[in-house]
Formats: sequence, C-alpha cells, structure tokens
Amino acid sequence: MIILETRSLKYTYPDGTAAVQDLNIEIKKGKKVAFVGQNGSGKSTLFLLLNGTLKPAEGEVLFHGVPFKYDSKSLREIRKSIGIVFQNSDDQIFAPTVYQDVAFGPANLGYSKERVDACVHQALEQVGLYRLKDKPPHHLSGGQKKRVAIAGIMAMEPEVIILDEPLSNLDPVGADEIIDLLNEFNQLGSTIIISTHDVDLAYRWSDYVYIMSNSKLIGQGTPAEVFKEQELLKKAGLRQPTTLEIYHEIERRGLARGKNSPKTVPELVSTLKPLDLMWVDVPPGVREGDNLNLGVMYGVYATQSPYEAINATVLHIHSGGRAIVELKRKGIKAGGVLLYDTDKYSLDEVRQIIKEGEIVFVGAMGKKSKTLAEQDGIRLDVTSGVIDKSILMALCGKRCLILTAGGMIDHALKRTREYVDKSGIEFTVGVVNREGGCKWLEEMDTNPETFKV
Amino acid sequence: MTNILDDYALISPLRHINNWLKLAIVFFGLLAGVSSTSPITPLFIALCMSLATVALGRAPLKFYLKLLLAPAGFAFTGVIIIAFFSGSGQELMSFELAGYPLVIRADGLELALLVLSRSLGGMCCLYFLALTTPMIELFAVLKASRLPESLIELSMLIYRYIFVFLDMALSIKYAQTVRLGYSNFKRSINSLGMLASTLFIRSWEQGDKLFLSMNSRCYDGKMTLFEVHRPVKSTELLLTSVYFLLTLALFYFTKNISIV
Repeated sequence: MIILETRSLKYTYPDGTAAVQDLNIEIKKGKKVAFVGQNGSGKSTLFLLLNGTLKPAEGEVLFHGVPFKYDSKSLREIRKSIGIVFQNSDDQIFAPTVYQDVAFGPANLGYSKERVDACVHQALEQVGLYRLKDKPPHHLSGGQKKRVAIAGIMAMEPEVIILDEPLSNLDPVGADEIIDLLNEFNQLGSTIIISTHDVDLAYRWSDYVYIMSNSKLIGQGTPAEVFKEQELLKKAGLRQPTTLEIYHEIERRGLARGKNSPKTVPELVSTLKPLDLMWVDVPPGVREGDNLNLGVMYGVYATQSPYEAINATVLHIHSGGRAIVELKRKGIKAGGVLLYDTDKYSLDEVRQIIKEGEIVFVGAMGKKSKTLAEQDGIRLDVTSGVIDKSILMALCGKRCLILTAGGMIDHALKRTREYVDKSGIEFTVGVVNREGGCKWLEEMDTNPETFKV
Repeated sequence: MTNILDDYALISPLRHINNWLKLAIVFFGLLAGVSSTSPITPLFIALCMSLATVALGRAPLKFYLKLLLAPAGFAFTGVIIIAFFSGSGQELMSFELAGYPLVIRADGLELALLVLSRSLGGMCCLYFLALTTPMIELFAVLKASRLPESLIELSMLIYRYIFVFLDMALSIKYAQTVRLGYSNFKRSINSLGMLASTLFIRSWEQGDKLFLSMNSRCYDGKMTLFEVHRPVKSTELLLTSVYFLLTLALFYFTKNISIV
C-alpha cells in the first residue's frame, strides 16, 4: 500500500534556484526508505515538502492517496501523521526539560493531561531516557539529545517518521542505538524515511533507496539494485558501499560465489567458497571423482563447529594409496542465536540459561536491556552490531544469547532466520522465554567410518 | 560544559522539595533579617541557611564560601566606612591616619555590625534559593504568579537557548583564539565585534529553525507547562516550623540587646 506519494513535485527558492525538480516518488507503508545524495542535493527541502512545511510550486504530495491541503486544520492532521526529526537536535529541542519537550507535541494535539503523561512516559521508555526526564537538554550528550528529539516525534504516534541525517555527529555506539530504535519502530509498523550521504548505512539498513543529485531524482530501487550501478553512483557523487566493494574484489578472484550482494559481514562470509583440501589414505579401488564419507571429526579438524560430519570428493589419487580430497563439512553440534525477552526478565533465569545452555557470547540490544545487564553484572561481550556478531559467532559453533525487548526481538529473529534461510547453514534460532521456548538442534548420531587421516 | 549556579541547583537533593516551601523560607528569612534590630537574628538566619545549602543541599563547601566571598567583600568595605563615619556616643578606638583623626564610636560599630549581618543573612537566603532551585522549577512558580503566558513561554525558550548560544559563543571564541584573534587589544575588540554580529545572525536563523520545528509538531501558539506536583512532607514542614519559631523567638528576645 502506498502511504506517501509525490507527483511531478517542484519547489523553487525565493531567489529562483530550483531545490526540487520534477520529483515522482511512491513510498510504501511499513518500509524503510533512504534518500541518498550529496549535501545540497535537495533532500532536506524534499522532507519539508513531505510534511507540508513548504508548499510546492508545482505538483502535489499525496498522503494515503489524498492530496495535501494547505489550510491549518489539514496541515495539523498531516503533521500529526508525518513526524520529522531535524538534523540538528538543538533546533528541535527547545523546552527547558526533557519531559516538557516530549510533551509539547501531544499537548498541541489537545490530549488530556493523563494521556499526555502516558504518551511521554511510553516514548521516553522506548528511547531509554525516562530517568533523565527532569534534566535540562544542555546536560545531555549528542546521542541522548537525538533520542529526545525522536521521542518528541514518537510521542505523537505518527505513521511516517522522517529523519534528516539521523546519524550525523554520533559516535558508533550512539549511531547503533539510533538504528536499533528505528528498526524497532519499523517493526511496530511505522514507515521510516531517512536522508543520508552514508552509502554503507543506506545499503545495509534500507528496503528501498532513492538517489538524488542536483535537486533531481536520478535513481531508485532496492539497495542491491541501486548500488550495483557504478555509473549512477558516480553521477550522484557517491561511492560503493564497503561490503559490496570487498565482495566484488573477492568474487573477481574466484574466492566467492557470484551474483550476490551481501549487506552485512555474515552475509559476506557466507558467499565465500574456500577450497578445503586434505591428504587422506584411501583404500584401493577408489577413483577420482568418488565420494567418501570421512565420518565425524572434531578438534582441530572441525573448523566450523565443534563436531562435523565430513564428506569428501576425491580430486586426485597419488601413488601409495594417498589422495587429495575436497572436503564438504556439515556441522553437527551447531551453534545458535538465542533471544531473551527482557520484558519478562529475571536474573536467575538468565544466569541459568547462560550456564546450562553453555553460552559463551552474550549481547544486548536496546538501552533498556543494556542498562539491566549493567545493573545485574551480566558480562556483555558485545553491545553494538549485536545481530551480525552473534551470527558470526554461531557460524563458528558458538552459542550466543541476545538480551533485548519489544519490537527489537522480532527484528532480530527475522534477520537471523533470513540469514539461515539464505545461507543454508543451519543453527538454532529462537526466543528462549517465549511460549514454546527453544531447543537446541538435536545432535546427530552418525556411525563414522574410519579413515586414516 | 559551563559551570554555573544552575548546574549545582540541578543536582541538589533539595531540588525536589516543594518550590513554594522554599520560597516561603527565603522570604521569611529576608523579612526577619531586614526587620531585626540586633545583628544576632540575621546571623542566625545566615547560619541556618548556609547549613541547609551545604549540608542538605549538598553544595560543595569550598564553592559556597568562594561564592559568598564576592558580595561579602563588598559588604565588608561598606561596613568599615559606616563604622568610622557614623554614630555618636562612647569612643571605642581612635587613631590618626596622615594627620586625619579616625574614630570608631559605639553606635557606629553597632550599626556596622547590623548592616553586615543583615547583608550576610540576605545573601545566604538568596544563595539557598539559587543553589537548590534550578530555573526550570521556577517556571511553574512564574505561571502560578499570573504573569502573562507569553512572557513565561519566552522565558522558557530564552532559558533553553542561552545554553545553545553560550556553546556557540564559546566555540566561536575558541576558533578566534586559535587564530590569534585576541593577541592584542585592537584585535580583541575587532574579534569581539565579529563574535557578537555572528551570534546575532545565528540567533536570528535559530529563531527561524525553531519556528519550523515547532510548527512541524503542530504548534498552535501555545506552549503548555507541565507542573510536577510536589507535596510537602511532614518532616519538611516540621523542620521549617522549628526554624521559623526559633528565629521569631530570637527576634523577640534580642530586640533591645546591644552587643557593644
């Protein structure tokens, strides 16, 4: 369903320079959309057009298929449904305390005092800043200010959230937290639009990308499609995303499977095709091209999981019964990614899961879960890029636990399952303290035929 | 980060006490101090208020004394002049300075001590307010005192943007300093002028941006102020009444005392 649409939109600054020209976009509900372009390519102006702050010179903007009207009552409706977070948080946060600022939007909507309080409480809990509600904004860090600005918009419960350069001036951990937040809101049903000149972010995060240059739209599509086109990127003054660049270089050297577009490091890893060769002693009668079952290996011979069932294809037979084989490994005691819902948190349970599940790697997503872990002295191995790192650990046969809550659970679950489906490498994925729980993959019992290695 | 009184007030545990109670204590202290005829009552008030600020309000003692030093210095010089040049009656001390006789008389000294104690008492009362009540708590008080809404809204916005512009001014100043903008007097004047004009333009632009961002959150010309309800606890009430009664008793019994 198309939620936001523009038709031959044009906007000209008072001095006559065109800021946006002939723009046709269709944004689908529930998507994560990124506008990518250099500074001054017209992204910010477009955003102001999208929430009715600026009135287009030509063309129209449609919300749910209805063209914008620019009288104050319609504008109010539009602005309630389409929230915008500005690039500089100081432009947006103007009230003397965090609470007052977040309450500004709901109060303007004419809510009762109780309802305003409920909205503010929920929004601040979501961004993990409730305990700072009585602080003045100048006592907050850049990342916290950004989260307050986002909470101020979330408190109005908009259908579409537009963020102008949401990660500018943030440190990596702060940026990661904002991305986690955006993913959570998206999981809860919000459509999210961001502008950025960070191609890595747009490539990795978004569902759909628009490329802008010199106030025009010059390309659009899924990130995989758009960032493949070198010419387009050159025209827009952008470069290829790093993971994609690395992948192309590896692929060109024949070390990765072709025609992929890995977005994350785990995806990149799964495209690799290393040659796994080994000398073995073979019984007489075995020919080149035969398949051998080498049985179960462990220790130094198992590189991807603690135990591996290994089949081998004979490539070359040497004199004296020795042969070179290419190994095909299948992990038996695979690793896994478990998720723990911290909304139903109990320290003893977490401790028990870590102990009995032989978990060696613990991560936390979201401010709330991080704070919980910190309070209770749960050692966190990772707090940023949690899903990716956990998948990488699971691939190496390690068992991981991710502490998280709310919409981030489903997001993490989806991401990990997608990876399992796509890569064909199986490991346990699930939410531990949800109904049904989650069992480790059964350990296989195979009768190893013994070969001398 | 800038280091201002408001920051101390924000972290003070007394911040969460009912504002009206604090205001009552301060006004009581000011009135009792000013109307007292002996220096003992104001000194008692100064002592109590300092104790409250430092012990209960957790203001750092060193910082508090330093803060008190500035106005106390002024008061002290004034008081010396009063002691020498006013009053009549018994001569307590006299000496000659460069051929000019200087005399301290009993009445003069009495008056000087009274003035000193009153100003100390008043200062301690006001510092108590300044160090335990941040500006953000006072907006509710302003609202309750029926000041025009727009004035309060303006003051809220001004309060917030003081810090934004302070940061801006500091970073501009820094940028000027590293390029030797303040290396001599003429350049300093020049740089300061540029700083002021830049700040003016920036604040103008900030106003535009502010209006834009407020509009996009459905601004309809009214900012609602949310008050936090802070009931007065019984212990606080008890402590305050004890303090009030003690002060009043002291006020009554030292009415006609002269200490010189």
